[in-house]
Amino acid sequence: MLLARRNLFRDRTRFLLTVAGVAVSIGLILLLAGYRSGVYRQASAYLDNTPGEVVVAERGIRDFLGTSSALPAGAEEAVRQTPGVERVIPVISQFVIFERHGRKDGFFLVGYDPARGGGPWKLAAGREPAADHELVIDRTAADQHGIAIGDAISVLDRTMTVVGLSDDTTFWAGSIAFARISTLESLLRAPGLRSFLLVTPAAGVTPMALRDRLAHPATEVLLKSEVVANDRKLLARVYDAPIGLMVAIAFLVGVLVVGLVIYTATIERRREYGAIKAIGARNRALYRVVTIQAFIAAAIGAIAGVGLAYGGGAAMMAWRPQFRVDIEPAAIGVVLAASLLMALVAALIPARLVAHLEPAEVFRG
Amino acid sequence: MTAFTLDVRGVTKRFGDGAAGVEAVRGVSLAVEPGEIVLIMGPSGSGKTTLLSMMGALLRPTTGSIHLDGIEISALSESRLPEIRLRRFGFIFQDFNLLSALTVLENVAIVAELGGVGRRPARAKATALLSDLGLGERLDFLPEKLSGGEKQRVATARALVNDPTLILADEPTANLDSKIGHEIMNLLRRIAKDQGRSVVIVSHDQRIRDVADRVLWLADGRFTDVDAMATDPVCRMSVERDRAVRTERDGETFYFCSRGCREEFLGRLVPSTG
Repeated sequence: MLLARRNLFRDRTRFLLTVAGVAVSIGLILLLAGYRSGVYRQASAYLDNTPGEVVVAERGIRDFLGTSSALPAGAEEAVRQTPGVERVIPVISQFVIFERHGRKDGFFLVGYDPARGGGPWKLAAGREPAADHELVIDRTAADQHGIAIGDAISVLDRTMTVVGLSDDTTFWAGSIAFARISTLESLLRAPGLRSFLLVTPAAGVTPMALRDRLAHPATEVLLKSEVVANDRKLLARVYDAPIGLMVAIAFLVGVLVVGLVIYTATIERRREYGAIKAIGARNRALYRVVTIQAFIAAAIGAIAGVGLAYGGGAAMMAWRPQFRVDIEPAAIGVVLAASLLMALVAALIPARLVAHLEPAEVFRG
Repeated sequence: MTAFTLDVRGVTKRFGDGAAGVEAVRGVSLAVEPGEIVLIMGPSGSGKTTLLSMMGALLRPTTGSIHLDGIEISALSESRLPEIRLRRFGFIFQDFNLLSALTVLENVAIVAELGGVGRRPARAKATALLSDLGLGERLDFLPEKLSGGEKQRVATARALVNDPTLILADEPTANLDSKIGHEIMNLLRRIAKDQGRSVVIVSHDQRIRDVADRVLWLADGRFTDVDAMATDPVCRMSVERDRAVRTERDGETFYFCSRGCREEFLGRLVPSTG
């Protein structure tokens, strides 16, 4: 342990470069994982913040964000009449393009009934829409487009006025905006349209029991958690491959940094290791020296990397508020374990070098 | 059971097979008594290093046997040899081979710790040894801050820390000036005589002959009678009388490694005698 520590700290510049290399690698892994978690959390933000344990959708629709849903006429009334139902929140959802100063963008427009819920859960400024030409939009989106309360924006063929700004309503494909349910019926020219029903079971009724009770051939009835999971699967198809690739590259960079530094440090001290081996040190004692060096470098680098990820995440969210970075404790545990794995892999080649050292070489000038 | 510390019996070391094979050591036998200092000399490529490596359980002989304190170390499995090297041998290398990242004290203590001694007693033992060798003021120094003689004294302390019965020294004075080299040899002699440890030294250095109890000459992998050797008066190299260039002056025969040395010798004599 002493020899490992001293070997590692002897050349401070090299040690700091190793730590920096690992920190960047671990920080990047954590930042990417945090970004992915943030994307998932943003994607489920509406369902997470709206009451209801069971979701009723059009037959075949199993996610909230990916597709449009149109429930059959009378579905809402049928659900409301079902025993064990305490509350039903009907919503219409539609991805729409809006225009402001000639610049177009999209948002996920949710139509809701203010009397029954389903609207913005964190109103940062203004109020909820009280008339059909009124709208609440996401504050970050409003900042990006220079929209303030009282401004008018074009949505489809209407001009609407922004009356409120909401927080926590950005997500991977844009942001969420809120209007009255009648506004959506009118905009989409579909009176009585309902996309989803968010159903809360009465006391004593489990969500699963209610789901089974609500089952109907014309509709899709799922637990809210199932819908969230399906939305995540949808996102995973888009995000997981590139993020996974970047994480793998970052991990590889970390392994190479630690491996290369420990390898060169071992090569430099080849003769010293040979001498210790000649004196009587066993291979396992030398493996331990090499591996501990890699572990120390990786562990300190990983701790610095966690700090770097938090700092990087905060900077990213300040710079681009639509991106959310959620660094979860479990992810920190995983990257710390990954850094140990990194050290183990990085120590393999130097350990092999030490194992093949011929102790008699020390007598050959 | 033999009373010898080291007993080398008919040892041969062959590298490679068939016609391309080379016998570096050929049927060498040697017995070293407790407290005895044996100096092995010989030209480069004579097999000194190979023999030293075999005596130190770093290389296995092709034939023959090597006993240390009655244990046939040449027959032990590879897994047992590190333990033997650690506890029964003390190695002193030509280039010192100190661990550059550790202090003087740590360089010595780590070997005791490898031998199973706890950290505190290992440091205490190393401190006592180093102080005894005059390095009490240098305990916290890194090797790079030491002179050659100090480094070799640290290496000597490291060789002694596990109380070995045999010390093997490879060219211990090669990187030292004459005075320091002599000091190191006297130190080894003191260790051998006071502590009863055997010392085998491999060296080219003629100056250390007087410290040894016995001087052996290795040539072409075999010991040659040291009486058959002479010292070139010009370059101080040991040469075999039978093979050397020679000249006679005033009834005395002088032996040289080459004609060049003889010419130089004769050139020096002419003015003084002419």
